[in-house]
Amino acid sequence: MRKLFAVFKREYFSAVRKKMFIIMTFLLPVLMVGLMILPSFIMVKGMGEKTVVVLDGTGRLQSAFTRPNEPTKEEKGAAKKPTSRRRSRLPTTMKVEYVSRDGDRNLDQTAKPYLDRLTGQEKGKGLDGVLLIPSDAIAADDSKLKYYGRSSTDFITQERLASITNGAVQRIRLAGKGIDSEEVERLMNRMDIEAVQISKTGEEKKGGAANFFIVFIFAAMLVLPSFIYGLEIMRGIIQEKTDRVVEILVSSMTPPQLLIGKILGVAAVGMTQISVWILMAVVGGLFATLWLSMANVSVMQYLSIATFGYFVIFFVLAYLTYVCIYAIGGAVCNSEKEAQQLIAPFTMIMMMPWFLMAPIITNPDSKLAVIFSLAPVFGPLTMFVRTIVSDPPVWHIALSVLASIATIAAFWWITAKIFRIGILSYGKRPTIPELWRWMKVA
Amino acid sequence: MSHILAVRDVTKTFGDVRAVDGISFSVRQGTITGLLGRNGAGKTTTLRMITGIFMPDSGSIEWLGSANGTSFRDQIGYLPEERGLYKQMKVVEQLLFLAEIKGKRPASVRPAIDRWLERFELTDKRDAKVEELSKGNQQKVQLIGTLLHDPELIILDEPQSGLDPVNMVLVRNLLRDLRAEGRTILLSTHMMGEAERMADEIVLIHRGRVVLEGDIDQVRASFGKNTVHVEYEGDGTFLRDLPQVRRAAVVNNAAELSLDDGADPQKILEVCMGRLRIRKFELAAPSLEEIFIEKVGTETLPEAVR
Repeated sequence: MRKLFAVFKREYFSAVRKKMFIIMTFLLPVLMVGLMILPSFIMVKGMGEKTVVVLDGTGRLQSAFTRPNEPTKEEKGAAKKPTSRRRSRLPTTMKVEYVSRDGDRNLDQTAKPYLDRLTGQEKGKGLDGVLLIPSDAIAADDSKLKYYGRSSTDFITQERLASITNGAVQRIRLAGKGIDSEEVERLMNRMDIEAVQISKTGEEKKGGAANFFIVFIFAAMLVLPSFIYGLEIMRGIIQEKTDRVVEILVSSMTPPQLLIGKILGVAAVGMTQISVWILMAVVGGLFATLWLSMANVSVMQYLSIATFGYFVIFFVLAYLTYVCIYAIGGAVCNSEKEAQQLIAPFTMIMMMPWFLMAPIITNPDSKLAVIFSLAPVFGPLTMFVRTIVSDPPVWHIALSVLASIATIAAFWWITAKIFRIGILSYGKRPTIPELWRWMKVA
Repeated sequence: MSHILAVRDVTKTFGDVRAVDGISFSVRQGTITGLLGRNGAGKTTTLRMITGIFMPDSGSIEWLGSANGTSFRDQIGYLPEERGLYKQMKVVEQLLFLAEIKGKRPASVRPAIDRWLERFELTDKRDAKVEELSKGNQQKVQLIGTLLHDPELIILDEPQSGLDPVNMVLVRNLLRDLRAEGRTILLSTHMMGEAERMADEIVLIHRGRVVLEGDIDQVRASFGKNTVHVEYEGDGTFLRDLPQVRRAAVVNNAAELSLDDGADPQKILEVCMGRLRIRKFELAAPSLEEIFIEKVGTETLPEAVR
């Protein structure tokens, strides 16, 4: 026990005293926050500044592309009914320059100068897109809108423009059938959707994009440390091999003592780091809560005490599962490069639930999510995500935990065997059949 | 004197290579035993089995007459041939760690650490990182780590390799002091001269087998006084071709001649006097080097698994 503790202590203090540890501990949260805020910032910014020219060949769609508070000529004429119900569908993040080209059959020609502006670098005059609405848009069946964009992948803008135009064209078509405009509005009325998650206890959580991101961050916090510290263990074992310390270690204690001491030591390092982060998060959270509550978002609606409990349980399970793979990698390889090559495909497999995070979050009770959450290796992360975004049955959770414990026991058994022989092999990396022999021999 | 350690018919195979092929020998308490052999003879593998790094495929290792248990390994101080320390650790921390993994309380070895550092003139390097030390000093730290937990048996694998002459003398004196304190030492070396200076007993290993074992003086005596050491001025190359000389190691102005059985050294002396200016002519027991060549021949072995 003293030996195991000696290894534990050495692992812990040598890691915690490294500059890298201190930098990581304090810098990573800053980076994380940056990564969280930046995309939404860019998104808002990027969309807010979309400037689009609409060349309307029909000349009748102006109302759709102007905001209610800038009434059009037509509406001035028919201003008896209030436009309150008819919210402009034009998002506030889009600036539209409307050009009426009534009856223009050669829109492509007309568009030329605008297209030049599209490609031009001139500040303030730059365009993000040009929409051509052909003159036969209302009458013909096979008419097509044409959108010239700076990027063809900006499908959100395209989608919005198409939807607005179609809405406006449909209104005019309906009006053409003699339906009065109020009726048209009722027919065309669209509903907004509000996502609400209902748990068994009956509490309601508002869902949406914010929830999605918070779950993502939690999932990252759950698995990333395991990968980072798993890599650290692998590096440590290889370092001991290249420093030739291993011979002294193994002549003084059993390989399992060494392995367990190491893994617990590095785990303690991880716990230290996460404790610091949680402390920072609590402090930061207080400010964030203040700030968000002003923005009418309550952080606690996404989180509960249970979430933290689950976090600890599944964090430990994930860590103990992943770390074995890295320990084997370190034991059978002689250089970091070699080890990383060997480990890469396994890392990919372990990361599977991470790659499938989006479908799992959006569909936490789908077959895929349920199978993943009960499977070994994938279980901890997937199950944890399910506990946040859904309300899985208790037996699912229990089964997942048991599956993980069984996996860990099996992995540790294999690791201990391979570790015992691999740790002393300085030669070339063993092949899979050789590894198999090691397992049987040790 | 009783045996502290006995190796009984131990074998170890790596793949197709039989590194150790039925080795048996014992180590008497309070002696220095030299495990001799070329590189690849199986010395390191044997030591690794004694220290518990490898399990023998067959045979047993007995400690004080018992083949059971592994707890005796805390009573061994092991200096591997591949020296290794945590490069990032401070000297003191490193030594504390090495004692702790041998089951010692950190507090109980602190005075010993100070004593040893003093003895090896490393007191001022106490808080230096290992990687900041010179190679010689790193070796000293490693040696301290081997001795810190007061082991009964000290196992040194090629203790002289990589040492400069000053440190070599230091290690030699240290080993003598340790023996005087009643410690038992088992050291492996391929340098016969070194073993000759230090060992009380030798175990000569070749190709995974013991070819010769016993008290060094008795071993040498059993080979008889059929060796001549000559020192001279002049060209001694002809000595190789003399009749009755089985083998001659000729260096500048000196030669060691192995004579055929029944040869008369007097005849050799006469020939030498006729052609060289003799400064020294000595009849002696053969050196270990000679005995070694006698036993295993001169063929060189490839560097196989050690």
